[in-house]
Amino acid sequence: MRKTRLIARLDIKGPNLIKGIHLEGLRVIGSPNEYALRYYQQGADELLYMDCVASLYGRNNIGEIVRDAVKDVFVPLTVGGGIRSVNDANELLRCGADKVAINTAAVSNPELISEVARRFGSQCMVLSIEAMQVGVGKWEVFTDNGRESTGLDVIDWVKRGVDLGAGEILLTSVDREGTRKGFDIDLVQAVTQEVTVPVIASGGMGKPEDMVDAVQKGGADAVAMADILHYNRATVGDIRRVAKLAGLDVRNYEAA
Amino acid sequence: MKKKDVIGLYSLPTDIKFCKKCTVSNQRPRITFDENGVCSACNFAEYKRSHIDWGERENELIELCKRYRKGNGEYDVIVPCSGGKDGGFVAHQLKYKYGMNPLTVTWAPLKATELGRANLDAFIASGFDNILGTPNGKVTRRLTHLAFKHLGDPFQPFIYGQTNFPLHMAVKYGVSLIMYGENGEVEYGGDMRNAFRPDRKIEDHDEHYFSGLPPEFWTEHGVSAADLKPFSAPCYDDVVRNQTTIQFFGYYKSWDPQENFYYCKEHTGFLPNSKRSEGTYSKYASLDDCIDGFHYYLAYIKFGIGRTTSDTAHEIRDGKINREEGIALVRRYDGEFPRKYFKEFLEYCDVTEEEVHEVIDSWRSDHLWEFSNGVWQLRYPIWESN
Amino acid sequence: MKPLEVTLIDYGMGNLLSVRRAMEHCGATVTVTAEVDAILTAPRVVLPGVGAFADGMAELRTLGLDATVRQVAAKGTPLLGICLGMQMLLDESEEFGITDGLGLIPGRVVPVPRISTQGKPQRIPHIGWNELVVPPQGCVDWVGTVLHEVRPNDAVYFVHSFMACPSNPAHRIADCLYGGHPIAAAIGKGNVFGCQFHPEKSGEIGLKVLMSFLSQ
Repeated sequence: MRKTRLIARLDIKGPNLIKGIHLEGLRVIGSPNEYALRYYQQGADELLYMDCVASLYGRNNIGEIVRDAVKDVFVPLTVGGGIRSVNDANELLRCGADKVAINTAAVSNPELISEVARRFGSQCMVLSIEAMQVGVGKWEVFTDNGRESTGLDVIDWVKRGVDLGAGEILLTSVDREGTRKGFDIDLVQAVTQEVTVPVIASGGMGKPEDMVDAVQKGGADAVAMADILHYNRATVGDIRRVAKLAGLDVRNYEAA
Repeated sequence: MKKKDVIGLYSLPTDIKFCKKCTVSNQRPRITFDENGVCSACNFAEYKRSHIDWGERENELIELCKRYRKGNGEYDVIVPCSGGKDGGFVAHQLKYKYGMNPLTVTWAPLKATELGRANLDAFIASGFDNILGTPNGKVTRRLTHLAFKHLGDPFQPFIYGQTNFPLHMAVKYGVSLIMYGENGEVEYGGDMRNAFRPDRKIEDHDEHYFSGLPPEFWTEHGVSAADLKPFSAPCYDDVVRNQTTIQFFGYYKSWDPQENFYYCKEHTGFLPNSKRSEGTYSKYASLDDCIDGFHYYLAYIKFGIGRTTSDTAHEIRDGKINREEGIALVRRYDGEFPRKYFKEFLEYCDVTEEEVHEVIDSWRSDHLWEFSNGVWQLRYPIWESN
Repeated sequence: MKPLEVTLIDYGMGNLLSVRRAMEHCGATVTVTAEVDAILTAPRVVLPGVGAFADGMAELRTLGLDATVRQVAAKGTPLLGICLGMQMLLDESEEFGITDGLGLIPGRVVPVPRISTQGKPQRIPHIGWNELVVPPQGCVDWVGTVLHEVRPNDAVYFVHSFMACPSNPAHRIADCLYGGHPIAAAIGKGNVFGCQFHPEKSGEIGLKVLMSFLSQ
């Protein structure tokens, strides 16, 4: 039975955990690993670390933070932001990441998806897509942390990415990100209908119930949460409880 | 078209220097740098952080409000706003925290964006009285055209109007206190004379905003004195009789535009844009006018200071980003041509694309710009400085 | 009391750091190496692995470590294969054409079924948390195995597209169900164990599995 995963998303800049709206206007929340440990203890099924300043500098800088995180956190860790080559991916995996999430570099060089999938396995290659609505039922792919438009259609791109070997999709709605208005269900549904690989819905979680919609109506396999956790509006445990009540199949976990 | 004497007109230093702490250069009119190469705005930001007793300042605000509060349903403070994060913050604080009865006043944007209008509506819906002053559309367009052609800034007339409208409303409604957000000269680097006081002398604003060209200039170009009335200040005697005082909320509260944004998102229904504004990375500032991109673009041409430079400079000072990131952002986005509303701009100002480029090029001072490899480039961009 | 020692084989593939950290968290002293002698003299050995079967076997062969691992097993040293490491314990795999494995536990590696028992397509890879259950045949009791501290229905973390099918049901310690199909989650033959799931990524349950292995 397909279990829904609850993923804590940590956007990181330099040494800090940050949070913005539409991926911008970033506020410092605190120490990434401190929050990561807290979410691990609360029962997060996975953690997602995104280096949000990496594509601006053309390099990923959070190897040290990842290395540090895996001392105390024993759930899967996906790391993204500024990964431009198989080498970059390898570096992060050696630091303790389990999966790498790639967006900007994949758009400019789609072959990278195949290279990473071939070398590390497609389950390791998460295609990260930042989606911005441009019409009814139409979304455009953005890169560089929601700053650059590409002209690519999200559905076309996600199909191509999976064909090239991506084993999972991290789908972030730039429009909903940080707004607390709920996930873009139409977007999630449009993508989950097109691909057979797991899809993580990200962006817009306002209340725990929102994730139920993302899964039941949108078809998401996992949900990434940031704002709701960082601002302590709910714990992972609260969200797990709501998910269970709604009949979702989630891991049985009781925080100590 | 004849080249303008940018250096002379704005009293600019001829050697380009960048602040050691932020991204702004000495080309920003009226800014000063200290012996360590740090700009006045950064020094002020440091001062804000370490030397100001904000508790004390809040007490002063409470006293001020006590003095001006009418408590009888009549307006007791005018808050100029656009529906954006800064005026929204000031109005909300004054009304809901300090018990004042603000009349918010908005000078209509030249061409409102959908998001801008929605934000103004949301702001009003969240619980504020608002007056929207919309000057004669035909006149405004003519003034904008002239300002663009002769001053290299289509926004000048708008700025006149925006500055003077609150004065008109203050006089008409018998409200003495006008509360702005921040004193731009003080916060962003300029004339520092009012850094340590909450207000600005009524006579002062002449110097800061009129760019040495009084409205009489326009009369020469087919715009009558009557046409200009809404843009000009009310009769000075009336202003004085009204005991008008212009104050800055940034004196009483540590000013942080990004935090204002979050505050307004929470309290006044403010929504940022999903897409970044052209010429910058920011999504939450100055969203309300299709034409304002050209104001920022021309500032970039005149001073080498575009929207990204301004945004990164204050975000560095407010501790949101560091200088390295600021420089990387400036390199990427500063001076991006505002393509999105270019057609609207041409129509609105009644100019051709050729004329626009002619005007733009006439403001490229040789001390800042060089034409090499078929393109105009900044001689000394910040990412090449040490 | 002698410190708990364990050696992780570094053949260029696998989430070494996480396994190492998890082991250290359990109180072990960890050696990470590709040296034949060090591996042969280790009291306990772990073969991690993330990636493709063919690549994994090729790397082991290049370093001469395929023979080393067989020797470790033959000596009776406790050996734990994780994820791809577990798959490589078997005779062969169907991933990207037929590739030979280490042949320590009879059986072959095949794709995870793409269609559930209900006839519905299911997502591949099998990613996520899934409950461990007692297999219909084979192991009935987890005492003394690496699942000593684990109870049926405890969830652990999987991420794989291929699965090991031991030909002898006695070698299946635990299964999990995916789309109604049983998947070998933990296998064992004598001193050789395999976890298809990642114990270093399965929270406290996973740490218990590692602790149990450390006391083998």
